[in-house]
This record gives sequence, C-alpha cells and structure tokens, in this order.
Amino acid sequence: MSKKILIVDDEAHIRMLIEQTLEDLEDEGVEFLTADNGQSALELIQSEKPNIVFLDVMMPKMNGMDVCKKVKQDLKMDDVFIILLTAKGQEIDRQKGQEVGANIYMTKPFDPEVLLNKAIQVLGLEK
Amino acid sequence: MAKLSLKNIVGRNKGFYEIISGLLDNLSTASWIEDENGNCLMGEPQIGDTCQCPIMLEETIAGWVKGSDKAQSVADLLSMLLQRESAKKKLGNEVLSLYQEINIIFNFTEALTQTIDPDIIASLTLKQAMHSIQSNSGIILLWDEEHQTLTTPAVTGEDLFNQDGLRQHLPLLMEIGLSGQSEIISDIALLKEKGIIQDSVQSLVYAAMKVKHRIMGAVILAGTAPDQFSAGQLKLLVTLALQSSAAIESALLYEKNIREVREREEAILRIHEVTKKFVPNEFIRSLGKDNITDIKLGDQVEKIVTVLFTDIRDFTSLSEKMTPDENFRFVSSFNAQLGPIIRSNNGFINQYLGDSIMAIFPDNPADAIKAAISMQKAVFELNRNRKFEGLPEIRAGIGMHTGPLIMGITGDEQRMDAATIADTVNTAARIESLTKYYRSPLLLSRETINHTIEKHDFNLRSLGNVRLKGKNKLLNIIECFDGLAAHEFALRKETLASFNEAMEHYHDRRFEKAIPLFEKILAINPGDLTGKHFLENAMTYLQEGVPDNWTGAEEMVIK
Repeated sequence: MSKKILIVDDEAHIRMLIEQTLEDLEDEGVEFLTADNGQSALELIQSEKPNIVFLDVMMPKMNGMDVCKKVKQDLKMDDVFIILLTAKGQEIDRQKGQEVGANIYMTKPFDPEVLLNKAIQVLGLEK
Repeated sequence: MAKLSLKNIVGRNKGFYEIISGLLDNLSTASWIEDENGNCLMGEPQIGDTCQCPIMLEETIAGWVKGSDKAQSVADLLSMLLQRESAKKKLGNEVLSLYQEINIIFNFTEALTQTIDPDIIASLTLKQAMHSIQSNSGIILLWDEEHQTLTTPAVTGEDLFNQDGLRQHLPLLMEIGLSGQSEIISDIALLKEKGIIQDSVQSLVYAAMKVKHRIMGAVILAGTAPDQFSAGQLKLLVTLALQSSAAIESALLYEKNIREVREREEAILRIHEVTKKFVPNEFIRSLGKDNITDIKLGDQVEKIVTVLFTDIRDFTSLSEKMTPDENFRFVSSFNAQLGPIIRSNNGFINQYLGDSIMAIFPDNPADAIKAAISMQKAVFELNRNRKFEGLPEIRAGIGMHTGPLIMGITGDEQRMDAATIADTVNTAARIESLTKYYRSPLLLSRETINHTIEKHDFNLRSLGNVRLKGKNKLLNIIECFDGLAAHEFALRKETLASFNEAMEHYHDRRFEKAIPLFEKILAINPGDLTGKHFLENAMTYLQEGVPDNWTGAEEMVIK
C-alpha cells in the first residue's frame, strides 16, 4: 500500500505550501490528500488511514485539537502520526496538544526544511 | 523543484484516471499511454506498428499516447493538463520561496530581539546571510561617521577579505560598499588590485546598512564561483541588512545611554565627594538625611553637642610679617593638621573662619577634650619645627562649651548654607576668647565637664565664674592642662592643690591668704600665667577692696 500524507488547513495557500514543500516525496510514491476542515479530515483519516497528518489547530467546524483527540483517543488510531500546526507564540497549545495525543507540534511560519525532514523521517524514507 | 512527471499527473487524481481511461476505451483501436522513457502508465501496450501522438510539455515530449490514430485528442488533453499542472507548480514554488524568505526574516527578527549587543547582532546578521545565501566569505563593515573609524564586528567563512586593505582604501570603499547602495558588483578587478579582496573571489554582493539616510556600514558576501549571486539573493541581503541596521542602531544608542548614565553618575559622585567637604556628612546625617540632595531649606535638628573653637593667638601680628599668599598657605597647613584630629575624635568641622576653626562633637564631650589635647600637642610639634627654622612660635587658644544646638539649613531658595544657631556656639566662641584673658591655652565650661562621664581622666583646674558681656548667667570656667608640654604639665600638677586652695581663699575674699599661695605657685612655676593673673587680681582687691555684692565672678566688659 502506498504511503499517504494528509494536509489539513482551512487556508488554501498553507495547503499548497506544505504540498510544495513535500513534493519530492511524490517521486517516492507518496500520495497527498488534502482537507480544508476538521470534519472532512476526520472522514479521510478513517477511510484512507494516512501515515502522517499535518493538522492545523485553528479551523472552522471541528478544530485540530478535537480531530486529534477523536483519532487518538476515541478511534485509537495510534499508527497515524499527527503533526499539529499552529501560529507561533501560542504556547498554551503545546501542552493541550500533548494532552490530546498529538505526536509533535510545529509552529507557523514553519521552516520548510524541518517540515520535509520530519516527514521523511516518519515515513522511514531516509537515504 | 521536482520534475513534473506524467505519471504523477495521471496517477495522482482518481477522477483524472477514470476520465482518461474512459477516453482510451472509446478509441476504436486499443490504445495506451507511455511516459518519455517508454514505461506504460495506462492501458495495454500492443506489439506492431501503431500510431503514436506526443504529449508535450512546453517544448519537450513528456510521453506518448500510442495505438489509435485518433489518439491525438487524448494527447492534446494530457498536454494541456500537464501545462496547467506545471504552471501551478511554478507558482507554488515561487510562493514557497517567498514563504521561506518570510520564515528567515521572521526567525532573524526574533533572534535580534534577544540581544542588545551590537557585535552579537552583527554576527547573527552575517550568519543568517551566509546561511540563506550560498557564499564563501562574509564581512560586516561599520562606519562611525563621528569618529571617522571603520570597524569589522563580524567576519566569517574563508579568508577572502583583507581587513587592513579595507581600512587603507576608505575613499574607494566610500564608492563601493559604503556608498549606501546595494548591488552585485560586476567589476571586482579594482578591489583585487588594491588588495582588498583575494584573487580567488569571483563574485561579490553587498547591501548597505543604514538608518534613515545615514550610512552605517555594509554587509558584504564573497563567492569563489562566477555569477554566484542572484537578484533575489541581493533583495534578501538588503532586507537582512536593513533589519540589522535598525537593531545595531538601537543597540549602539542603548550602549551610549548606559555610558552617559554611568558618566553622569560618576560626575554626581564627584560632586558629592566635593560637597561633603563643604557641608560635612555628619551635619547632613544629623539632620536625618542620607545625602546632600535630600536637604531642603528649613531642615533642622536640635541636639546637645559640644562646640569647640580654636584660634591662632596673635594671628594679626603674625600675619603682618607674611605675604597674603604665605598667609593663606600658613592657615591652610595649620587647618590641614587640625582637621584630621577633629575627625578622628568623632567631631566634624562646621566652619573655617579665617584662622579659626569651629568644630562640633555631637556625641561625647570627652571627644572634644581629647581632640583639644591632641591639637595642643600638634601645635607643640609644629613649634619645634618652626623654632628650628627660626620662625616665631604659634600659640593657639581652644575653648569649648556643651549645650543644645540647632543645626539646620538656612538661606533662601538660591543660596543655602549649613548653619548652627544657638547660644551654645556664641558661648563656646566667647570661652575661646577667654583663653587670652586667662592666658590659658585650653578652657572648658562647667557644662562640658558635667556632660563628660570620663571627667576624671582629665587634669583640670577651676578658674571660677565669669559673667560674659550682655549675659546674666554666670559661667564656670575650667582649665584643662593635659595638653601642655611635659615639664609644664608636671609643674601645674605639682601646684594643683595650692592653686585650688588659693582660689578658695580668693573667692571667699581672703586675699591675704590667697596671695602667698599664688606667690608660692609662681615661685615653683613662673610660667603659670593664669596663676599670675589671679595673683594680680588678688593684690588689687586687697589694696582697693571689693564691692559688697562681689561674688568672685569676673565681669567681662568686652566681647
């Protein structure tokens, strides 16, 4: 089964940026999925079982925290590596992110290099 | 930028895959899609001569639709999809690189807020520039317009810049580097010729550091490959340089402020050092203040203190023989000797009045007596030297009185002075002048002795009462002779009992008994001028008689 990365953000340019950052992985057969809200993200996670989810915290409908909590605590999908994304300086979210079971936490603006390296590492694609 | 492949376009989107697959199925002849390397991406490849239609991305062939001669429309559709996807990727890449720049600037700005050290800011700037822009060496120049000096707070990478060369060719630097411009330098031959940069440098870019229109310096990067720097990189360097300029400017201002505050503090401290010599600290402290600046007009405190006056005897005739300059120096050296004695005995000098000193001893009157004794001994030492140099001897009179004193700040808002207001001061001054009358070097009031716990430590003689001019109250005057030279002290001690006896007879008007005793004392100690004074008095009273209301007190007709 091919590896999948789900990018969840209500802002289109952030989705595009992450996708662009990770484009080299396409050649490794990694498939990209995107969602612009928490509700469809949750549905995609259940149906597609992505390896990594880049999950924005601040989103309409269902926010990233709630999505993460559902996935990790209710659905017990431990294999899904969740990277929470939030604006810099919202320090309080870090602890909250840990509580809801996120694997790691990244701040926006993110460093593209760091983001790509993390994905490579989680997917086990290091050369 | 990852290569845009037909495989990714076709395989990426399930919807695409189905539409194209359906189109292929509708073609009359079995058709399939191959990538540019002949790998089949969709459909079943057939053997034999078949039609093939190229799928184009710009000018290159990205793959083929093979099989049907009607496949051209499918190839065209795929070409168009590829074209669109390519445009999207290009745009995406531009956005990403802008985002990366934002990220760099964001992180850089954040790092700048962590420091107020200009050198650290310079290092951070250069580090960030070298990290973001591929280069072999970097240097930051800071130009100090005011002092006309060039500094290089940060240098990294290979040794491609000659710092001495930079300093030696300032005029050239003003045209390139410190011009206030930012550019990629196309002609670097001149810089090599002048020895400013190494021969291996092939590319050079610099961005001006400036605040408003003032040029502060420049960030310069060097590369060993030709055309190493792009316009985009120059733009990034300019942004970094401007951010850094503002930070360095505020850091320098901060340093300057700190330096100025420190200098001001030092100046204030120096002023304090000087002012405390004019207004003694003890005076200020006795007003309950820590500092002279805390003092305001009208501050005052009342306290029982001992006031001491000292005065050079016959100073007028002494000073007549000296020039004003000699005079001043003489008084200064005299005061310089007595000052430390007063301070070491817990007193402070309240005022210098020409050749006389007024000192205050706020705690124990014994301090004042001890100081007076030491002062007498100091004068004795001084005289030994003067005698040796053939100069006339100095005699000083010391008088003191203990009583309440108001110390305070008087004057007006423009001119304030530390003032002591009390009868105690006047009385002490008058007692000092009595030393001339009694021809005794050290006189105290009864009040001083009454306040002295250690009164038995001193050798004293009572000289009876005095009524000062304009005063009703009688003042009991006591002589302390501990400060006399050893032989004089011994003689006075030897005759003390006789003196006390003589004084008793004297006060009881038994002058006929007092006179032989005074004569006996003077026979032993002809230098007892006080004894001589009373002998003369007694002889007069014996001859002329005394009024009925005579108390023995001496009436002072002069101040």
